[in-house]
Amino acid sequence: MDCCISRRGVLTIGAGAALTGLIGEGLSTRLAFAGTPYTGDTLVVLSLRGGFDGLSAIVPIGDADYYRARPAIAVPKASVIAGDGTFGLHPAFAPLQARWAAGTFGAVHAVGQPNPSRSHFEAMEDMERAAAGTSIRTGWLDRMLGVAGASYPMAGVAMGTSAPARLFAGPAPSVSMLTVDGFKLNGEDAKTPMMGTLAKLYDGAPDLLGAPARAVGQSLGTVGALPAYTPGATYPATALGNALKDVARLVKSNVGLMAATVDFGDWDMHEALGAPAKGQRMYDHLTELALALDAFATDLGPAFGRVTLVTLSEFGRRVAENGSRGVDHGSGNAMLLLGGGVRGGKVHGTWPTLAPAALTAGDLTATTDYRTVIGEILQRRCGLGSLADVFPNAAAGTALGVVAAR
Amino acid sequence: MPKQEAVTAFTPADPVLHLLRRATYGPTPEAEAELRKLGAAAWLERQLNPASIDDSACQAVLAKYTLIGKDIAGVRALVKAGSMKSGAWDVMQQLGTAAVARAVWSKRQLFELMADFWSNHLNVTCPSGEVWDSRAQYDTVIRTHALGRFADLLKASMRSPAMLSYLDNRTSTKAKPNENYARELLELHTVGLVYSEADVKDAARLLTGLTVDSATGLYKFDANQHATGAVTILGWRHDNATAGGGEAAALAYADMLAMHPATAERVARKLCVRFVADEAPATLVARLAQVYLDNRTAIVPVLRALFTSPEFAAATGAKVRTPLEDVAATVRVLGIGPSADMESVRGLYHYLYDMGHAPLRWAPPNGYPDVAAAWAAPSGLLIRWNAHLNIAAGWYPKQLARPASMLAYLVPKLPATHGAFVDALATRLVGQPLAPAHSAALLSFLGKSATAPLKATDAAATGRLPHLIALILDSPYHLYR
Repeated sequence: MDCCISRRGVLTIGAGAALTGLIGEGLSTRLAFAGTPYTGDTLVVLSLRGGFDGLSAIVPIGDADYYRARPAIAVPKASVIAGDGTFGLHPAFAPLQARWAAGTFGAVHAVGQPNPSRSHFEAMEDMERAAAGTSIRTGWLDRMLGVAGASYPMAGVAMGTSAPARLFAGPAPSVSMLTVDGFKLNGEDAKTPMMGTLAKLYDGAPDLLGAPARAVGQSLGTVGALPAYTPGATYPATALGNALKDVARLVKSNVGLMAATVDFGDWDMHEALGAPAKGQRMYDHLTELALALDAFATDLGPAFGRVTLVTLSEFGRRVAENGSRGVDHGSGNAMLLLGGGVRGGKVHGTWPTLAPAALTAGDLTATTDYRTVIGEILQRRCGLGSLADVFPNAAAGTALGVVAAR
Repeated sequence: MPKQEAVTAFTPADPVLHLLRRATYGPTPEAEAELRKLGAAAWLERQLNPASIDDSACQAVLAKYTLIGKDIAGVRALVKAGSMKSGAWDVMQQLGTAAVARAVWSKRQLFELMADFWSNHLNVTCPSGEVWDSRAQYDTVIRTHALGRFADLLKASMRSPAMLSYLDNRTSTKAKPNENYARELLELHTVGLVYSEADVKDAARLLTGLTVDSATGLYKFDANQHATGAVTILGWRHDNATAGGGEAAALAYADMLAMHPATAERVARKLCVRFVADEAPATLVARLAQVYLDNRTAIVPVLRALFTSPEFAAATGAKVRTPLEDVAATVRVLGIGPSADMESVRGLYHYLYDMGHAPLRWAPPNGYPDVAAAWAAPSGLLIRWNAHLNIAAGWYPKQLARPASMLAYLVPKLPATHGAFVDALATRLVGQPLAPAHSAALLSFLGKSATAPLKATDAAATGRLPHLIALILDSPYHLYR
């Protein structure tokens, strides 16, 4: 139990206060598609909390200013794998190199938010709410579930956590699950009907408590009916590996999973980011990520074709290193994409360069709004039409072609 | 049923129980009797002066946690003596477990709530590798100032190796300052999101030189690494002219931050969210902020004003128990006493770990969230429900010191009917009988009518008693604080 959090494991909901009072909000568009069976991809949002250093992951090897800004910690050209003359992959992505070559693993660079913040907590809140300047306080995945017509909690699963996911905050049904096998009620049997009694005890409770209680009741049967699981791949024995294994299990079991969230933290590398070698902080953390993603893709087997995984992080890191051989909070970042429908093997987006004049207050300038990338996936892979309810007030960005249409 | 009515119905209106639910980790018969005897004002003063409270029973338990009082030199001496490995997590594991024991069994309940409050406000994740030798000393810093002046606490944290390591200031350099501590000191520890990026940059420069001596692990100010030159932060200016004066300049900065009106407002708001309501009453926040400034950051006058305010009195049902509060209240209300068995206390810690609320363990620097919406999730409820039954039945953890007869402890005189029994049990556990429909649900679970006679051998008083206790603790009646 005590094995899995190393340093600053997970950066998660910061602006908890912002969540109060949103229960019951925004029911208007929810039932538009109710009853239509969902046939889109399962969207897996992997949150790399703490501020992922996209410049270490997808290395701009063709940009001399990168090497000037990071004399102590830049990834040398000779170390990268795959990529082209402009970008290379950090060598810790070796487990995914074949998928890069096959085109099912890819990246978008210089992605960001419209009003970037260098506060972890404000930036996460903005990114997960995705409704700045409006009165909407739900999470964008909640709104995605609403538009997709989710009518049962297992449509949206926050995996690997017992806490609610900010992305799912709102009226659409969803469920948090620390583990699939652990999702059972002690003492429940024919002679001691605990759940049936609990349902009555929560009658009259405010939705704040009543909704999750109902979601337990609605999900116990589905989870209890799942056969024992033997994954089709060996996952790393980490919290991330366990969570992705459980997501794959639900996808393959066809429980109607539309969207899942998984958190993978500890990216706040202000200090000792390290050289691209085993035992170094960035290398080891990227290795853990790559091994888990590769196992996930392998385990899914044919179902890989109906899953799209995308990474998000609240901000990228400062271009120039600090005196601690680390990098402080920055802005523009890289997103990673994995799935059968991904057009990978390349780095999408527009590279603004790291020339001093091209930077924004010392940071990589974002040239692509993260909502443009997600929006393309929602439309081409998840079957959504208008994105107006999911991403209100987002300018219609030009799709980059990060995924193939189903 | 309209929402507001529902909340009130789940929470007893009795102001004594309200104060106990908020200013302790949960009512016990002993605490309730003491409060009723002393009266609210005297009881509160006693809690605000924890040294006046005999806490020997809890201290006897804590005596087994031999590592939690070790300062940095003490921890390193263990390594030198060969009884602990360098970098080992033993001290931090004990601290986390001891935090559970303190919450549950200390009689200095308000003090323990405030130690937890500041441990979150000035979070240093426990366990985390870089504070293996300094985390226990940091706990002492928090506990020393938990009911003192915030300015003193802030300055003590600023010179704590644990904080300087956790937020990376120890490796900051005058040529390329590390911004991590500078930013969180503003955003999380003091004024909140009112700073500019220029403020962060100047603050990062001002804080250079506050570091950790790698040879001893102790705090040191290294003038050689201090960046000199005037700084302007939030409109406050300091010449910062000499390297040797760098530490004094940093401490003056901390004093300014502690007395900043934005800090007063944030501390007042967080205390209101902690003790009054998720939506902090604006009038109370404003008054408490003024009390804080008038008393030059002393916390006791702020707490006194908070607990005697009409806003507090009116806030029954406005808070939901966090997982830690739920587990602690469960153990307390069931009369499960201090246990000499450290493993069983660790068992409680493991429940909290699964619930995502193991004490001191929150990974990001902002501390655990303190509003119901951040905790209310299906898996979280399910794990609470499972823990209630396991604890009530004594299935896990097994070695906790339980009353000889849980039935006799909770309901000393067996009522004549099942209906009266359900009412008595609920009154004992949650301070009031359940609403008729909810009592009916429990009776239906037992397969009995309210008027069915009760014998000591009936399932309700024997094999089904743990289930019955658990169901009451699972319900919103127990979840509201």
